[in-house]
Amino acid sequence: MSSQPGHPPEGLFPEPTRRDVLRTSATAAATGMVVPAMVSAQQTQATAPSTGAMETLQGEVAVELNVNGKNMALKVEPRTTLLDALRNRANPPLTGAKLVCDRGNCGACTMIVDDKLVYACLQLAVDMRGKRIRTVEGLSSSEGASNTAQLSPLQQSFCEHDASMCGFCTSGFVMAITHCLERKPDASLDDIKSACAGNACRCGTQPHIFEAALAIAKGGAK
Amino acid sequence: MTYPSGPQDNAPKQSKTKKVKTTKVVNGIEQEVEIEVEDVAGPEWGPRAALKVLDKELIRVDAPVKVSGRAVYTHDVRVPGMAWARLLLAPQPATKITKLDFSACSKVPGYLGHVVIEAEETRWLGQPVAAVAGATSEAAEDALRAIVLEYEALPFVLDRDSALKPDAPKVSRRGNQSKPQTRGDEAKAKAAIEAAPHKASGTYSVPVVHHACLETHGAVVDWRGGEEATVYCSSQHTFGFAGDAAKTLDLKSSAVTGIVEHMGGGFGSKFGFGQEGDAAAKLSKLLQRPVHLMLTRKDEFLMGGNRSGSHLELAGGMDANGALVGFTARAHKQGGIGDGSLSGLPYIYKCAEAWTEVSGVRTNMDSSRAMRAPGHPQASFATESLLDELAYAAGLDLVAVRKANLEDKVWHRQLDRVAKEIGWFEHPHRTQPGNAKAELCTGIGFAISRWGGGGGPACEVEVAIERDGSVTSSVGSQDLGTGVRTYVAAIPAEELGLPLSAVVARIGSTRLGNANGSGGSVTTASLAPAVKDAAYNARRAFAEVLAPLLGCAAAEVQFADGGVQTSAPGGKRLTWKQACAALPEAGLRAKGVWAAHLQGNGIHGAQAAKVEVDTLTGRVRVLHMVCMQDVGLCLNRAATRSQINGGMVQALGYALLEERVVDTALGLQLNPCLEDYKLPHSLEIPKMTVILDDEDTRGVIGVSEAPIVPGGAAIANAIHNACGARIRSLPCTPDKVLIALGKVS
Amino acid sequence: MKSFTLINPTTLDGALEALVQAMDRRGRSKAALLAGGQDLLTELKEHLAEPEKVVNLKNVPGLATIQVDGTLLRIGALASIEAIESHPIIRERAPALAEAAATIASPQIRSVGTIGGNLCQRPRCWYYRLEEAKCIKKGGAECFSYSGRNKYNAIFGGGPSYIVHPSDMATALTTLDAQVVILSPKGTQTLPIERFFTLPSEGSVLKETVLKPDEIVVEVQVPLDALSQHSAWSKFKERASYDWALSSVCVAVVKDGSTVKRARVTLGGVAPIPWRVPAVEALLVGKSLDEATIAAACEEALRGAEPLSENGYKIPLTKGLLTRVLRSLA
Repeated sequence: MSSQPGHPPEGLFPEPTRRDVLRTSATAAATGMVVPAMVSAQQTQATAPSTGAMETLQGEVAVELNVNGKNMALKVEPRTTLLDALRNRANPPLTGAKLVCDRGNCGACTMIVDDKLVYACLQLAVDMRGKRIRTVEGLSSSEGASNTAQLSPLQQSFCEHDASMCGFCTSGFVMAITHCLERKPDASLDDIKSACAGNACRCGTQPHIFEAALAIAKGGAK
Repeated sequence: MTYPSGPQDNAPKQSKTKKVKTTKVVNGIEQEVEIEVEDVAGPEWGPRAALKVLDKELIRVDAPVKVSGRAVYTHDVRVPGMAWARLLLAPQPATKITKLDFSACSKVPGYLGHVVIEAEETRWLGQPVAAVAGATSEAAEDALRAIVLEYEALPFVLDRDSALKPDAPKVSRRGNQSKPQTRGDEAKAKAAIEAAPHKASGTYSVPVVHHACLETHGAVVDWRGGEEATVYCSSQHTFGFAGDAAKTLDLKSSAVTGIVEHMGGGFGSKFGFGQEGDAAAKLSKLLQRPVHLMLTRKDEFLMGGNRSGSHLELAGGMDANGALVGFTARAHKQGGIGDGSLSGLPYIYKCAEAWTEVSGVRTNMDSSRAMRAPGHPQASFATESLLDELAYAAGLDLVAVRKANLEDKVWHRQLDRVAKEIGWFEHPHRTQPGNAKAELCTGIGFAISRWGGGGGPACEVEVAIERDGSVTSSVGSQDLGTGVRTYVAAIPAEELGLPLSAVVARIGSTRLGNANGSGGSVTTASLAPAVKDAAYNARRAFAEVLAPLLGCAAAEVQFADGGVQTSAPGGKRLTWKQACAALPEAGLRAKGVWAAHLQGNGIHGAQAAKVEVDTLTGRVRVLHMVCMQDVGLCLNRAATRSQINGGMVQALGYALLEERVVDTALGLQLNPCLEDYKLPHSLEIPKMTVILDDEDTRGVIGVSEAPIVPGGAAIANAIHNACGARIRSLPCTPDKVLIALGKVS
Repeated sequence: MKSFTLINPTTLDGALEALVQAMDRRGRSKAALLAGGQDLLTELKEHLAEPEKVVNLKNVPGLATIQVDGTLLRIGALASIEAIESHPIIRERAPALAEAAATIASPQIRSVGTIGGNLCQRPRCWYYRLEEAKCIKKGGAECFSYSGRNKYNAIFGGGPSYIVHPSDMATALTTLDAQVVILSPKGTQTLPIERFFTLPSEGSVLKETVLKPDEIVVEVQVPLDALSQHSAWSKFKERASYDWALSSVCVAVVKDGSTVKRARVTLGGVAPIPWRVPAVEALLVGKSLDEATIAAACEEALRGAEPLSENGYKIPLTKGLLTRVLRSLA
């Protein structure tokens, strides 16, 4: 099991496999002081780590993050959030995700990390090494043309349904609904509402956001 | 006909000439010239049926950059050498500062400097004391926490009752209560109530609520020690802050550019440079480098503004026909250390004998600021609630009662329509509320709105047509999410027979023409006519150029379908590109100013809400909200609908979820965060129906504020209508519903 | 956040070692454990905790698996809330747990928040969460909610602190008779979940659990049986989209026909710990879940409630939730 900085070991956010779920193992018989079989089994299966080899990060740390398919070198502190890293320390800065509450209450900083929808303000940047980070900028391409970006179908639908007013919440909603539709292309209104229940909009664009999302869901085409 | 008179769509054209000013390039030099043109009535919107761009569902021109995360807001500005700044706020409502020590800051890696804002005494919770800058956002926070602030906690009051006690500590030199303003004859009003067959009274209260803009207040002052500076500010007025920055930076005001390219919501809270902008400029001056200072979310709740609360003691009398014959109100506005606001009472409905006494009761909290229809939702909630109570006392239909007290038939028509849409005529409880026997009860409530929405001469717009065919429409106005940028492009597109995509709008800079701030819903009626005038002048001047090419008189040149042609039969047609090729190298520029006849003033509005109340738990679910709104000429139907939806969503928050919670003993706001200050999210959003009142054929009118006013009242009334639970104190949270149902001992 | 050193162990031993090294002789710790971070990072940002070292569990493999050993459901402490909510076996055989998980917070929190973190999270009381309020839970003298703004505070078991425990899964796991497996330098211990949480009057008011600074929750175990199979959950939120419980109820029953043979009933959002109500359980046994029994059960469940000035509504509210949950299991 590797423990080099920049190449974290397998198994961050590990998903249980079907085999894991159905596996039975010898039951630990005694009560009390028995190490659970599952845990010790995993430890012996893993590549033995070198004793005492624990990555320790302090001060300024150089990290490489994979953002929208590209590797990006950054200097961060252990306390730097993924949001602050991309907004304030990346060059060029990625400011599509917004700092609004910094507490995981409003969703304006929403990103997709390894196919999980996350509040970027509640992720440490150093914890994001080796992960696929997707931000709103990665959904469209603006190669060449000055004003017109090639928008994703959902982004285009947001435009067509007037789903953005001041626009400060928009990136977060676009990410939350993109994630929802990637998992469930024929999402219902309830699915869409649940998907963005963690996102705030003060201007009140939600009715049009729902219409924009449903237009894609019912359309079906990707 | 009940609308005030406005421009007639088909005014006959006069056939004489007049002189018009435009800029023309003469011998390579741009100069303002006077040309003679046929004297028609001036710019006109024209018959609505003939509009190709306006009054349609337009896609906002800035939607693509917003949905792709490429729109740069003040919060996002990054310039070389930029320092990060934070504010230190007073931690108690009233303090005498005994120590303000920055010496530990110099030990913080990345600390750059500080300024003192207040060194002696603070009088409201969250008042800024100092600002500190660091090389990174983390360093700024470290430096902030290294400041030593010691103080003597002074006596304070944070609630109305305490503030009104005779021995209460004085909130400010002006005392704790503003001089009560009275209107009407108290004795007559009381007598009228007494004589009325049906009476109702109650104490109504609405809490302090917050704007909760997603982008907090703040600025980036980009000065690098030279002769010029650029200031980015999250502001509702492009021209409202650069002058202050210039003074602080000791620069000529002409050398400082103010930018509001995009801003993340204002709702009335973002006028002026603010203490945060001022601090940013002072730090920039000190450090001779750019400074980024945006309030944190907690800062924003404490000092970013709020809508004043209200405490209203009402009484009313109604006759057998549903007429409001007597009304009294004693009201206390609660605007923190300021005076708060409250619209006139009774709100909109006529009353033969009305008496009101209104004063502001002050506390050691930040002053209220304008918030979308200041004083109106408070007055609406109280008035509409009392009206329903009177209607039930009289056993009269809730819609009929409203109509009985409104002379203007526009409201009658709108109320009838929203009643139909919400399902009023199939609803069982039209004259009496339902009871709470069933676990799930459904109710309907109504309320109305009124606003001015007219504009004035403030905006200077320029429309430029270039030789390569590009068209630019420029003015320094700001777009808060209102859709200004889009109609700044759409109006010239309409005028010149072009699609929306052919016109580029430039806004949000003090380098462009002057514009007023976006408050009071004045923007559309101030700006759109000026854009129209500029477009009109550009068209007329261009027609002069094209007339010889088309072999016709200038007045016969038509701009349509992306080209120009002559109205004469068998005439020539040029494409837009061909026409523009005829322009001189420097193109053509025309300016526009306000034209009164293109705008109107005085809108109405009616809303209805349907709710389901769960009497077992107190849960209120809003099922449907309907609004019918007159807006004059609608420039962009999609954006107008969004504005109206948005007002209803904000009203829903006001009705069910939002309040500033304060511990009056500890002197703290308990919910300065978006976890405990609860905005409506997706599952709170009901079905929304917006009906634009197309019977209103007037010119453009501002519609930003009217839609937020009635929703809270409609929901509160709907709750009562559902199950008989009358809640007189917003928000109608589940605990209050259960208390009103008598379930809490 | 204040600066900290982040330690990334790759084994549980390493994690324990890091915790031990961060303890002083009096047993106070300069370290905090980081799992999903959805609570810890908010604590750090409010400066409620300023650990010098943060020990990150996410690089220790094998802590997030969900598996069934016979009739024992074993959930690794680092399993995400989303994984629990969507797990087919949990949905089928311990539905209240999946339902409880589904009502937690928002999609963004559930995707990376962990069951271990959810059980060990600190309270949401606004006095606790405000740095400026030096309340009893942070070493101060007084619980400000008691005579202050206490709409969201406890009606049972309060004193000297009146917080409610914020974990929805803790409430459901209590009904499901779950156990918590704790690893310490001395070895492993398995505790019934009811012994994991402590009342402020019984344990230290500064904590909500028995967990010591050199201990790590590594697993949660849930028996899968007829009881877990017939379990139901209800959480009432002031804001349906994303909120904590104003009150919650979790009930599991084993019936013979329509007669209850065994019942477990826990209330959430009403006490500093998940509030199991054995008196209601006893009342239900031998009865069918008709309206009369349900009404009696509701009365019994809220008997002895001691509301504060602003939270009396929790009494009828909780009765309403319990009514509906019992009806669903009838």
